[in-house]
Amino acid sequence: MTFRYTMIGAAICIFIFYFGLLASLLFSTSLTGFWESLAHPSTLFSIRLSLIAATLATFLAVLIGLPAAYALSRFQFRGKQIVDVFLEIPIIMSPIALGASFLVFFNTPLGEVIQRKGIFFVFEFPGILLAQFATIAGLTTRLMKASLDEISPRYEAVARSLGSSSWQAFYRVTLPLTFRGLLASVILSWAKAAGEFGATVTLAGAMPGKTETMPIAIFTALASANIEKAIVLVLILLILGLVALYAVRLTGKLYRYD
Amino acid sequence: MIKIEGLAILLKTFSLTDLHIEIEEGEFHFLLGPTGSGKTLILESIIGLHKPKKGKIWIGEKEVQNLPPEKREISYVPQDLALFPHLSVRENILYGIKAKNHSLKNYDKYVDSLIQVMRVGHLLDRYPANLSGGEKKRVALLRALAPKPKLLLLDEPLSGLDPSIKYEIQQLLKTLHTSLHPTVLCVSHDFEEAFLMGDKMTVFINGNVEQVGTRDDVFLKPRTKQAAQFLGLRNLYRGKIFGKEDHVERSFIDINGLRFSIPKGACQSKMDSGREIDLYIRPEEVMILREGKSVKESLKRNIFIGNIIDIANRGRHHSVFFQDGEGKISFEISIPNYAFRNLDLSIDKQVTVALRDESFWVME
Repeated sequence: MTFRYTMIGAAICIFIFYFGLLASLLFSTSLTGFWESLAHPSTLFSIRLSLIAATLATFLAVLIGLPAAYALSRFQFRGKQIVDVFLEIPIIMSPIALGASFLVFFNTPLGEVIQRKGIFFVFEFPGILLAQFATIAGLTTRLMKASLDEISPRYEAVARSLGSSSWQAFYRVTLPLTFRGLLASVILSWAKAAGEFGATVTLAGAMPGKTETMPIAIFTALASANIEKAIVLVLILLILGLVALYAVRLTGKLYRYD
Repeated sequence: MIKIEGLAILLKTFSLTDLHIEIEEGEFHFLLGPTGSGKTLILESIIGLHKPKKGKIWIGEKEVQNLPPEKREISYVPQDLALFPHLSVRENILYGIKAKNHSLKNYDKYVDSLIQVMRVGHLLDRYPANLSGGEKKRVALLRALAPKPKLLLLDEPLSGLDPSIKYEIQQLLKTLHTSLHPTVLCVSHDFEEAFLMGDKMTVFINGNVEQVGTRDDVFLKPRTKQAAQFLGLRNLYRGKIFGKEDHVERSFIDINGLRFSIPKGACQSKMDSGREIDLYIRPEEVMILREGKSVKESLKRNIFIGNIIDIANRGRHHSVFFQDGEGKISFEISIPNYAFRNLDLSIDKQVTVALRDESFWVME
């Protein structure tokens, strides 16, 4: 039984560690201070900015990530292994390094042309999008590939023999079958984008009322010793994260056919 | 008619050089081969999921090897069935008709008759997860047949089923074939399945076609030893031709120093002296002679005296294992249960056996 208790004890330790951390946040704030900080225009701006940016970045990541995930899951092509390795770049690379790479890129001739004739990224809203997109695109693709891998290609084979084109077989059969997996990937990607800090602050800066997303606002609040605001934002990010995780669990219950 | 000509498939894990199959309209054709011989890949190439390196595929008058799967008019029932889990049985069945943008009205009667034959009327609103193994097979077959394909491809349709369900599906396939005459190409490793259901069959071993023929052709006259072994045939011997009796059109074959007189009809090619051959002795054509009973002249050519070394009760018949007196050859004799009882056979009993002319088959 000692073995069993050791293992369960470790699990409980992890729980206490995180729960204690969260409980300390609640201890350090008062209800009136909480509402004041929450209702402050700069806090509301950060929340709105984070939600919009994370949603758009996730949309872009799915737009390119879903077909890429399909290709990696279903087709054999030259360089597939290399593409697969590169999906992990944002996971192994520090977010600040990722943001710094963008800054360097926008100083190259091509980067300058893009900024001059197209969209201005550095210290602007599109910069937030780009930083969040760069952080999550690989993850989104990897997660969606994993859920597509779970669906036997045989379903599509049968659908095609029955008269569906490859596009039709995808949206009539594969997409509905993998829907909950894809939805879970989208939610996790969104939560990751909403919490992104390093790349965003490097590329888009920390300008209040312009590029100050929630994680950046936490950082600036702490820097200016506004602990109350920092705690409010941390709690909101935490709630968003927990809701996202719960939603992922819920998707497991929806659309279960077997 | 379906014609596959010179099909060559080259994949990382599998290669096939030159496959020819011809299937008449309404024929139930078996592609028989051992497990792992690439049968599923052949099916997937015929459907159009893998691009063949070479070869042509005709469906009727149409050459289809360059067409995408959805334009080939071939339905496919994979081994795992792949019923769409998110669609009800009804939606599964109608999938092909809708995918082809055909009017459901034109198929009403046909689909209804299929539903009746397949006895799935009570399952239409259920989802595949709530069906038994046999029900899933019936729905998968129905889904494949509903859009009236010109060719139905079946991948091991009876594998992984309990014996009673296996029998049920076997009977159903037979009924279906008799009443609707779909053209079927079925891959299987199970020669009994092929024997019970197939009109014609192609035996495929190690990437080579060993034999093509009717059921009786293949089972009674295997072309090569490899084919015979795969078909589970016993009593296969290596021998040498050592002479002819030309006036009666017979040859002598020596096996381990024993002489057998073989009729010309038991050979596929010329029986030249000195040539080494493989001989198949059909267990059901060997007679155990009753003591004291006179023997027909035609049987006297191949009579051996020896002992019974083993007996196996096979349910519907008995297998008696015979060894000649000098221990040079032993073979299995298959006899009906009533004959087994009448002859009062037991292990170690001395018996005289006669090999009818029909017992012999010489392979290439």
